[in-house]
Amino acid sequence: MKIELISFGKISEFINNQNIEVDGIADTDTFKQYLENQFPALKSMKYKLALNKNIVQENTEITNNAIIAIMPPFSGG
Amino acid sequence: MSEKKIKNIFVNGPIEPAFIADSIAKHNSKTAIGGHSIFMGQVRKDEIEGKFVAAIAYTAYEDLALEKMHQIREEIFEKYPLNCMHIYHSLGTVKTGEICLFVFTSSAHRKPAMAACTEVVDRLKAELPIWGKEIFEDETHQWKENI
Repeated sequence: MKIELISFGKISEFINNQNIEVDGIADTDTFKQYLENQFPALKSMKYKLALNKNIVQENTEITNNAIIAIMPPFSGG
Repeated sequence: MSEKKIKNIFVNGPIEPAFIADSIAKHNSKTAIGGHSIFMGQVRKDEIEGKFVAAIAYTAYEDLALEKMHQIREEIFEKYPLNCMHIYHSLGTVKTGEICLFVFTSSAHRKPAMAACTEVVDRLKAELPIWGKEIFEDETHQWKENI
């Protein structure tokens, strides 16, 4: 399965935007586990995911060619 | 339901005082309005561990931010009897003392305009995917976090 990964703010300093190929990841909870294994720095950070431009509020199914954004706490204004 | 017309709120660099003045002036033909409320956010020269903030560099997940702002806008119009509402937020570098946020609400009487203005600012800070990187005078930086 192909996923386009984009990151913002502080997280963009250690995770570049990239296309990844993963298997056995069906939902956002599993994807979080995958991310935290790949990028251990995330484990101690607060962040939210957006799946196809929707902020993930609860575990959500991921389909092929998904766009997933990793977002640290917001600081606009 | 209302048609979905997503407005852009982003401005590159600081929001110029002349732009704000012009925006106010444009309302003199809207004679049903009796009260305006304006909030302007200005980049503060914070001191953190002996270093001073020189600027904030803003980035956003623009598509998502505009989508979310659209939703907030609709909800605010549902809740308050407003004549109009304008919102602008900077992207890129804004130096200390410059304006990075401009929220402008108008209604027939003052109270809805004032309440809506406050609520928009609160919601925008909490809900829009925008990030501010505080750049210090020595060019080091830290990422802001809204509480």
